[in-house]
Amino acid sequence: MIEEETLVLDLKTKSKQAHAFEVLVNTYKERLYWQIRSIVLSHDDADDVLQNTFIKVYKNIDGFKGDSKLFSWMYRIATNEALNYIKQRAKLQGVSDTDYQNKLVSNLEADVYFEGDEIQLQLQKAIATLPEKQKLVFNMKYFQELKYEEISKILDTSVGGLKASYHLAVKKLEQYLKED
Amino acid sequence: MNKKNKIPFKTPEGYFDSFEDKLMDKLSKTESTIPKDSAFKVPDNYFESFNESLKGKLENEPKVISFFPIKKIIAVAASIAAIAIIALNYNWNSSSELSFSDLANTDIEAYFENNDFELSPYEIAEVLPVTNTEYSDFLSSPIESDNLLDYLNENVSDFDELNIDYNE
Repeated sequence: MIEEETLVLDLKTKSKQAHAFEVLVNTYKERLYWQIRSIVLSHDDADDVLQNTFIKVYKNIDGFKGDSKLFSWMYRIATNEALNYIKQRAKLQGVSDTDYQNKLVSNLEADVYFEGDEIQLQLQKAIATLPEKQKLVFNMKYFQELKYEEISKILDTSVGGLKASYHLAVKKLEQYLKED
Repeated sequence: MNKKNKIPFKTPEGYFDSFEDKLMDKLSKTESTIPKDSAFKVPDNYFESFNESLKGKLENEPKVISFFPIKKIIAVAASIAAIAIIALNYNWNSSSELSFSDLANTDIEAYFENNDFELSPYEIAEVLPVTNTEYSDFLSSPIESDNLLDYLNENVSDFDELNIDYNE
């Protein structure tokens, strides 16, 4: 795999930009997709946000200072794009963010790209009840299996704080699943 | 005296070194009620064809992006408000209890607090250099000293007031 520093340099060099961008997209598209999908839930929305994320990366690569890893920088853009997408949609429909997210979860039952059984659907309903930070940490740790150190750089939170959020989230989810 | 030596208890060798692993093992066992598969799927060949659709979208994007630097706008708004307040206060010679400067600043803060610009601080930070910001960066044309004099001429009735320090 191409070295990150070389990739960033190539992305900033006009003649090498197109190829470097393709490498970047190929390297990160799946990981960023799953991060976005865990927030927006529907595939079509995830596709929209993923494209917007890469467009933003492409346009702002000159502003990438290199003081964070390219991976964390892009993950942060993807996360913010997805969260803002949800907020904008909720605003457009004149409902609160929470109501909108509950609606997203109930849409899953009819979603052809969600092949979950009853317990997996319940889990998504349970995740929707978590505060935003816990939701992000849980998805990143449990489903995407990111390391706490990586999550810490992406969300700009201490590892200790993340561990606390994660365990709180797991406890709440188990409680929810047991009660239901 | 070392606290450790005071306590007559011992732990098995390597107990603390392996504690975290054992704890994590136990924690992962307690998570068994949560399914590991999120059950989200993607259409066939989605990732294979993603590059093409992204390329199409990028080509349709306008080349120039205009970006409203919010912090700069806040700074300009605050300075314009400050100038206006000074001018208005002076002309009206107001003795109202409400302080115009307090009111205006809190209004400006509340406005930026309560209105959603659909930009997170991260996004602003990604594109906005925070150092070396000058007012000339966000005003398209500089303020000419003639214009400043004209403004003062029209809006300030007592020039001696402006020169108190100088006259003294």
